[in-house]
Amino acid sequence: MFNKLRIGKKGENIIFGTFVLLYIGWCVNSPDMNIESLKSVLTIGLSVGIIYGLVALGISLIYTGLDVVNFSHGEFFMIGAFAGLTMFNLLGNQDWIFNIFPDAYGWIIYVVCLFTAFVSMGLFGVFIERVFLRPLTKKGGGYTVAGMGIIICGFGLSVVLINVAYLIWNPVAKPFPAELGLPMEIGGLFLPITYIWMIVVGLSVAAGLWFFLNKTKMGLGIRAVAYSKDVSNLVGINVPLYISIIFGIACAIAGIGGTLVGPTYQVVVFMGYIILMKAFAAAVVGGFGNLPGAIVGGFTVGIFETASSFYISGSHKDLYAFLLMIVVLMIKPTGFFGVQVKMKA
Amino acid sequence: MLKINQLISGYGSVQILNGANMKVEKQSIVALLGGNGTGKSTILRAASGLIRSWKGTIEFNGEQIQNLPAHEIVGRGLVQVTQGKDVFPAMSVTENLKLGGFILKSKQQLLDNLEKVYNYFPRLNERKDQLAATLSGGELQMLCIGRGLMSNPKMIMLDEPSAALAPQIVLDIFKNINRIRQDGLTVLVVEQNVRMALLLADYGYVIKDGVINVEGDSKKLMYDESVKESYLGGTKANV
Repeated sequence: MFNKLRIGKKGENIIFGTFVLLYIGWCVNSPDMNIESLKSVLTIGLSVGIIYGLVALGISLIYTGLDVVNFSHGEFFMIGAFAGLTMFNLLGNQDWIFNIFPDAYGWIIYVVCLFTAFVSMGLFGVFIERVFLRPLTKKGGGYTVAGMGIIICGFGLSVVLINVAYLIWNPVAKPFPAELGLPMEIGGLFLPITYIWMIVVGLSVAAGLWFFLNKTKMGLGIRAVAYSKDVSNLVGINVPLYISIIFGIACAIAGIGGTLVGPTYQVVVFMGYIILMKAFAAAVVGGFGNLPGAIVGGFTVGIFETASSFYISGSHKDLYAFLLMIVVLMIKPTGFFGVQVKMKA
Repeated sequence: MLKINQLISGYGSVQILNGANMKVEKQSIVALLGGNGTGKSTILRAASGLIRSWKGTIEFNGEQIQNLPAHEIVGRGLVQVTQGKDVFPAMSVTENLKLGGFILKSKQQLLDNLEKVYNYFPRLNERKDQLAATLSGGELQMLCIGRGLMSNPKMIMLDEPSAALAPQIVLDIFKNINRIRQDGLTVLVVEQNVRMALLLADYGYVIKDGVINVEGDSKKLMYDESVKESYLGGTKANV
């Protein structure tokens, strides 16, 4: 009889569903609830969520591939934003681009900035991995064995990167005045075009990563390396190279995230820290190490956070992501799509 | 083809191999026998570059290959076939096989080799779209051998192909290993199933405490008193 009281997968889902219903009920009861506010909650939530999702995607990718959690990932996001901004300032006052493309001037420059952030952060990630993380695995066993050292190193790297950025760009928040066009009207709601850009570019990056991992030969190699380094070695995959590639891709995606956020908010040296924490929450909610889960978790955290700050209390905005993470860990410890896996550092 | 000379190696600071010598002739099947923890698998891991060789040389086709990166050793045509549990369970059989041919440059070559492997193991062809996790033990072992054959190797090294399999399936797999040899490959088999391995092989090495203890023609080894005593069971329990 008591056997039936044990919380299985089904029980977890029922309790979590009850929680979601209670939460929705709370929001609906709020005096601010109307169709207009719901629309803006959804768009802002989705656009913020895709940013959390992109960073979470990188964290999950590094976790599946290298078996470690990269706690300096937020700083790649921040430096990516600065890389995009630097490119923007370089191109922003070039008249010849304006002369060639008078209509599409703004977004062509912005696409170049996104591309710059992607490539430069990819190379920077490979550099960091080779120079600072790889030597920690000298004793043998690769990343799986050196796990805890790498995690501590990630914290240190985060502090170092913040301070290097501080030296280069100083701590003043900088605007990123990308000229992407007028607000767009969707369903009676005027949305700043940067929100649309975030969602569209973010989803394209996620889809591109899915295609890359599942349909190309290099992606097949990455999935093999993520599962087992030894067997990958034996089929002739250059495992050290592939580990660098995994790290580079994760950092490149974070860089794109940074440049996407730039025009909506501001670019500032300390933007990486809170994003890292929320992306971590998103990865946990979606199921740690699961790539589609990272994006879904990002959307969930984004919408939950925005809805709560609209309908419950706006003065505790940063609290909700972690509240959701705690609830998910209590009720459904594997997250939405996670599975219980062997021990990873 | 493969020549191992005074090989010393181990894990961390634990030395397992204390100067092993062995030779594998071209187009032969050689069995490397020994109990648990004697260093059989360590020789394979050192030869395929998964662990470092501390001292001694490993020669393949006249070139020294010790301490080369593992993927370069595969590129030279020396491939280790893992035990059946070492597949990629979340990928289909075809994907697993394609990973085996990862170093191949041309797509046509990959498809040809895929055809060749399905020819060796028709069972894999029947299950090509299934996830590897759903295969039976024997099929997993076939998949591992097939994956090893995908990269056009000159020599394959099998790590306990009979582990945890029913005798009938072991026989089937050993027949296929013989077929592979007849098609021009060199085979090194590491085994605990001494009787079966000696029936298959031309030449045998018995390893004990990290050195080669006994070696000789497999027919001779089968009647060797020390081998009989240690591995084939005494006269009383000879079933």
